[in-house]
Amino acid sequence: MNLTDTGESRVNGYLFVLERSLKTFLPPDVVRDAVREIESHVRERIAAFEAGPNERAALEQILTELGPPLRVAQAYSAERTIDEAVATGRFVPTLRAIWQLASTTVAGFFTALALFTGYLASFALFAIAVLKVIFPANVGIQFRGGFPVGLGAHFPLGAGIDLRGGYGIIPFALFCGLGIFVATHRGARRFLAWWRRPRLS
Amino acid sequence: MSHETWLEQLRRGTLDLAILLAVSTGPRYGLAIIQHLEAFTDLVVTEGTIYPILGRLAREGLLASEWVEGEAPHPRKYYRLTKTGATRLVEMKTEWRAFSDKIGRLLEAAERPA
Repeated sequence: MNLTDTGESRVNGYLFVLERSLKTFLPPDVVRDAVREIESHVRERIAAFEAGPNERAALEQILTELGPPLRVAQAYSAERTIDEAVATGRFVPTLRAIWQLASTTVAGFFTALALFTGYLASFALFAIAVLKVIFPANVGIQFRGGFPVGLGAHFPLGAGIDLRGGYGIIPFALFCGLGIFVATHRGARRFLAWWRRPRLS
Repeated sequence: MSHETWLEQLRRGTLDLAILLAVSTGPRYGLAIIQHLEAFTDLVVTEGTIYPILGRLAREGLLASEWVEGEAPHPRKYYRLTKTGATRLVEMKTEWRAFSDKIGRLLEAAERPA
């Protein structure tokens, strides 16, 4: 079956949406290969159809059986990004998978927000440990009216700021930072494993 | 767990084996693999989701892929079983048969009158 211009537009539109979705989390060469393969599938299916008056219905059937472009992109995501993160547990693939979910789903966005807060808190504590070594006078526990109100670094150190705490802050910050990092990372992996489960084809 | 989720997990767990079996007799391209699976099973619900699995199996070294042009009006990407894939397939077949036998015996025992 040879497609009319309208049919060609429909196929190109499908491939365009798929390509745009895949580009958000896959390298360009992988995207090109994936889109080429899906196009080959569609062209093969179209070629098998006998020319008839209802091209539109035939084309819709082909694309329905193939699945919506976002659904296909999600399958690539599950197989590649999320799979890699769940299987390896490595930090960068996990971040990439969370980012991908955050940019495509509402639930993913809010979960990613919580997870990024955890990661940020842990990195902030690691930074405090490092800064304490470099600027010992500017990093410590801030006291107000005799009560501790915060832990951090102050540049410059204001006149009214009461900073206390010696080098003991370093192991404390490292311990807390590591604890928060491990808990957040475990949470991220569990979330990705949970996310992956019900969306399998 | 809902029935659909259970079914999806079951399908998912067997798709790798089914795909490796589909290419065990010789190289096939994506649509030919799908049609082969559809002829024998109902494992393929959404055709487009098979391609990411083929990609993963290729990344894992179980399949090798190659674009072939000129055979049809459009290029086709053929997949064939690698040596590693063939070894894995033998293991998977053995495990599947043992697993299937055990579940079969369990079903028989459950259906037998007390």
